[in-house]
Amino acid sequence: MFLDSVLLILQEILEAALLLSVLLAVNLQLGAQVSEARQLGGLWYAAAICCGILGAAAFAWAMPTITGWFNDVGQEVTNAGMHFVIIACLYVHCRLLRKKADSERMRSLGAGLTLITVIALAITREGSEIFLYLRGISGGPSGVTSAVLGAGVACGIGVSTGILLYFGLLSLSRRAALRVGLALLSLFAGNMAAQAVQLLIQADWIPYSAPLWDTSGVLQEYTITGQLLYALVGYEATPSLIQVSSYLGAMLLIASTPLFRQHWWSGKISA
Amino acid sequence: MGRPTRVAAASLALLMSWVAEAGVPEILLVIRDHLFFPSTLEIPAGVKVRIVIDNQDSTPEEFESYPLNREKVISGNSRTVVFIGPLPPGEYPFFGEFYPKTAQGKVVVR
Repeated sequence: MFLDSVLLILQEILEAALLLSVLLAVNLQLGAQVSEARQLGGLWYAAAICCGILGAAAFAWAMPTITGWFNDVGQEVTNAGMHFVIIACLYVHCRLLRKKADSERMRSLGAGLTLITVIALAITREGSEIFLYLRGISGGPSGVTSAVLGAGVACGIGVSTGILLYFGLLSLSRRAALRVGLALLSLFAGNMAAQAVQLLIQADWIPYSAPLWDTSGVLQEYTITGQLLYALVGYEATPSLIQVSSYLGAMLLIASTPLFRQHWWSGKISA
Repeated sequence: MGRPTRVAAASLALLMSWVAEAGVPEILLVIRDHLFFPSTLEIPAGVKVRIVIDNQDSTPEEFESYPLNREKVISGNSRTVVFIGPLPPGEYPFFGEFYPKTAQGKVVVR
């Protein structure tokens, strides 16, 4: 029970933790360059995390009702919707983070609000499962203590991994950190798009298509490496064509932002 | 109702019924005492199937399968639906993520 809880909860926490650390690192590195980014201080992140936890609790609480929507596929559709909102907000966030503008206050507010939405929704999606799991376990036959203990350990590992990535990014040169961070954000957007499409296939809103390839012989999704890659870049052993293309589409959407172009293609960073 | 009877009842319920309007075969999968009944679902190859998951436990469970790419929470004492396929022949294991020690099953496509 203990190990099961650790793995389940870690799986849910990793994605949000990694996203949070990449966003933190990118915003910090941009801070020296973009004045409004500097204003995205700790309060924004704290607010985002609080909103996420509240959202997760509310989503878990409403799950029985939501599941019944749209002929019993409300869970998939709502989740997919959250994925799409995350991609859209990440895109707007990246656009707003570029450089100084006429209306800096509005830009700063916009960047902050989109940041809150991305983080809060990422936590809502994954956190709701933790709430459901812990509630399920507490009503179950045994193992409440080990499950809660497992949750604690998983939180510890998840947060540590996030911190490790954060300082890993900061240990790079600013230019490299921004490049890697932005690349990870675009991969994250791809991941969200592929997951959303997968959910809509599961809901039968998008027709099923056969997997494009199968790498389960090389790397199984349920292994630690598989899970880590899933959390970081959305690794899936058997993706379908529509998943791969939506992954690439969302990736390119983020890569098309001036912020991304400036750091990846222009060669030099303007002060 | 004794366990064998209940298992027999669950197996009977497994008998596929064609949903008239959609033309999608439906199959019933029951969760009870953190176990799947039946633990093996047989479906024909190349056909989309609607799995109705009936969680008779008071606790939530998550239906999850890596080879099927499926993941869905089923609240306690409630029912929901997961679509799978059309699939090529083979075995596709699934499990209950909240109680993976006991809740194990597989879809066999022939």
